[in-house]
Amino acid sequence: MENNFYLIGVGGQGVIRLGQIIADYGLEKDEKVKFFKEVGMAQRGGPVHCEIRIGDVYGSRIPPLSSDIIVVMELSEGLKSLEFIKPGGTVILNRKRIYPIDMMTHPEKYPQDEEIIRLFKEVKAKIIWIDAGKIAREAGLPIAENIVLLGALSFISSFDKESMINMLKKHIPRELDKNIAAFREGYKTAEGMDK
Amino acid sequence: MRKLLTGNEAVAEGVIESGVEVVTGYPGTPSTEVVLTLLPQEKELGIHIEWSVNEKVAFEIAAGAAWAGKRALVTMKMSGVNVAADSLASIAYSGCTGGLVVFVADDPGVSAGMPEEDSRYYAKSMVVPMLDLASQQECLDYVKFAFEISEKIGGPIFLRSTTDISHVASDVEIGKKLKLEKREAHFERDIAKYTKAGAAWCMAQHQDALNRLAEASKIYDSYITESGIKVNETHFEDGSKLGVIYAGAVEGNFKEAFKKYNLKLSWLKIGMVHPLPEERIKKFLEKVDRVLVLEELDPLIEAEVIRIAYILNKKVEILGKFDKTLSLIGNYSFKKIKNALEVLLKTKLESGQNSNILEKAKKLEVKRPTSFCIGCPHRGTYFALNKAIKNLKYKKDEIIITGDIGCTILGMSKPFESCWTEVAMGASIGLAQGFKWAGIKKPVIATIGDSTFFHAGIPPLINAVYQKVHLTVIILDNGWTAMTGFEENPGTINLNGVTNTKRVDVVEICQGCGIEDIQIIDPYQSEKATDAIMKAIEYPGVSVIVSRRECALQAKRKKVKFPQRKVNIDKCTGCRICLSSLACPAMVFHPKDANSKAYMEITSACFGCGLCEFTCPTGAIEVIKDGK
Repeated sequence: MENNFYLIGVGGQGVIRLGQIIADYGLEKDEKVKFFKEVGMAQRGGPVHCEIRIGDVYGSRIPPLSSDIIVVMELSEGLKSLEFIKPGGTVILNRKRIYPIDMMTHPEKYPQDEEIIRLFKEVKAKIIWIDAGKIAREAGLPIAENIVLLGALSFISSFDKESMINMLKKHIPRELDKNIAAFREGYKTAEGMDK
Repeated sequence: MRKLLTGNEAVAEGVIESGVEVVTGYPGTPSTEVVLTLLPQEKELGIHIEWSVNEKVAFEIAAGAAWAGKRALVTMKMSGVNVAADSLASIAYSGCTGGLVVFVADDPGVSAGMPEEDSRYYAKSMVVPMLDLASQQECLDYVKFAFEISEKIGGPIFLRSTTDISHVASDVEIGKKLKLEKREAHFERDIAKYTKAGAAWCMAQHQDALNRLAEASKIYDSYITESGIKVNETHFEDGSKLGVIYAGAVEGNFKEAFKKYNLKLSWLKIGMVHPLPEERIKKFLEKVDRVLVLEELDPLIEAEVIRIAYILNKKVEILGKFDKTLSLIGNYSFKKIKNALEVLLKTKLESGQNSNILEKAKKLEVKRPTSFCIGCPHRGTYFALNKAIKNLKYKKDEIIITGDIGCTILGMSKPFESCWTEVAMGASIGLAQGFKWAGIKKPVIATIGDSTFFHAGIPPLINAVYQKVHLTVIILDNGWTAMTGFEENPGTINLNGVTNTKRVDVVEICQGCGIEDIQIIDPYQSEKATDAIMKAIEYPGVSVIVSRRECALQAKRKKVKFPQRKVNIDKCTGCRICLSSLACPAMVFHPKDANSKAYMEITSACFGCGLCEFTCPTGAIEVIKDGK
């Protein structure tokens, strides 16, 4: 067994927290786990990405064409992950743009959604298009976008829903109920798209 | 018990399990988390753990403890070894009685901007054994192993990590704590061993160090750690004349490729990179005709393999960096290792993603320039500094501003573009003097953070005073070693206010150094700060500005609150001068659309530094009072 997850976004979105929960889930299931995180200047709005490998793996980084699931928390950052998607793998695209400061005055320079989607289609990825921000707001916790995406990822990876909720209890100190609600909504959304 | 630990956390666990009594270090990516993990447990563990003022001091403290018979560990990044090197070389000759482990983390691939130095050279030049970490489990096992070697041979040992080991988490088997007998601190006077008075003693010590090295290699070539890791390991593949010799972080990707492509070749893993297992390498070379050497950074092992092949008088093709199969630069991704294996095997293993698609993606990628955090006091300092230069009728590109290591260097980026140089801890002040003696007539300004100043900024300041250089030094005192993750330094007032340490004041140090022109400014009070900097620049001698305001992220944790700002949309013309002069991440610009004119918004992320008020030409930025 080998499962590879590539998560990408920018500082403050909870990319690393999301990775930690998945990595810990793997450990709980008694699997070998590798968890790489690239934080760099995250504190200052910079790019953040992490990779979780669960199962019979050695390297800490996902080889090209090997990622089963890619979670793109910020659209343009997702472009950096194209190299890694496994043909037939799934990419969960969060409908979210975060403009760097110099682009704020020229939002037209930001790539169009269609351009990004087209590239993911070209690498033969299944695309799950989610507005996690909206779902999180409806669950009463706008910041829980990452947890909504965890829900979607858990459905796609056939993760055990209840053990994952136990992980949330362990990893999330505040607003647990709303986080669980966000998780369930994310799960349901992905389930709905699968039908 | 299995736990998910990063390499650095596993080293910390190894420290706990090895009965170490003194731990010191100076923060530096990617080494920082060892001390960071241990520090909160200091009381519970009943041992001494500290962030020292610099790596040299940190090393000396650890060495002193080891000379007194205790186990001690010191941590630093590769740049830190340069700082500690003077004492390190000397103590390496003397040896030690208690175990002394120097944990150094190199940064191939540069996760935090600094030269891609290969610290393995130090092991060679200082006659000290070095273990190279290849997995997170080794991080734990090798700490124990390193102390065992150190005490057995009676000398210090390097434990070397790299970013891909230190910052990656993996499942690690923990919990086998060693039972050591309690040791009383005791130091035996032996000046032939512990001083360097005279050539005879120094050369005898050199011989001792060489003997220790020989002993290390003799005893430990076949060592197996308690979780079953062979430190040096050879695998011979029947019928294959191809081989790979590797060390360090490349192991993961190599083994990954080995499994994925079902490779049939022999391999040799080297855990002790100095001294190298010469006999083992000889035996390996006897059985192979074509060898790939995988090691990040410099070809140290490769050069030795070539030497050994020469001694063997055997024609072996050796692939690595000398023949340019692999690069000297950067860390080794799976792809790089796969490509090198293709050269070794003379076959294509797998092609990657369509390069056209990747190029298209690359073109679309959005660059995210770094800026100061919301509320960062450094933003205010550079804002005032640029204004002072302008008010004094200088052009921005004619005033040299030397920068230094840490958050303060972000002053080189947009929108300030103040700093011209970044060299090494404390170097801003030394370099600035060089510019003056070279004949730069216009003012030269050095900027440096508090921790960097304590670390290595004081000697060049004293030098400037003594030599009467016309120079302005701006010390951006935010009270924390912030860039590496908010470590304490001698100037820190810690989060809970409880501490056994005595705070050292930057201003008092400057006074003690003989600085006569010192002004303390608040970077949030932009106008006053600008005036003070103008005066300092005009002062004919060494002037110091201490720009003092706590790191906003730490102040926030201490629940310090300032009144937030808002934009009065009626007054806002959407000119964006606030945004372009400060690049504050709390600002959002709303372009003109069908329903509204263009305007700025200050989000609830505002910390309340108030700098934006000083930028707005129409006075549209206002203080929020009573939530309005």
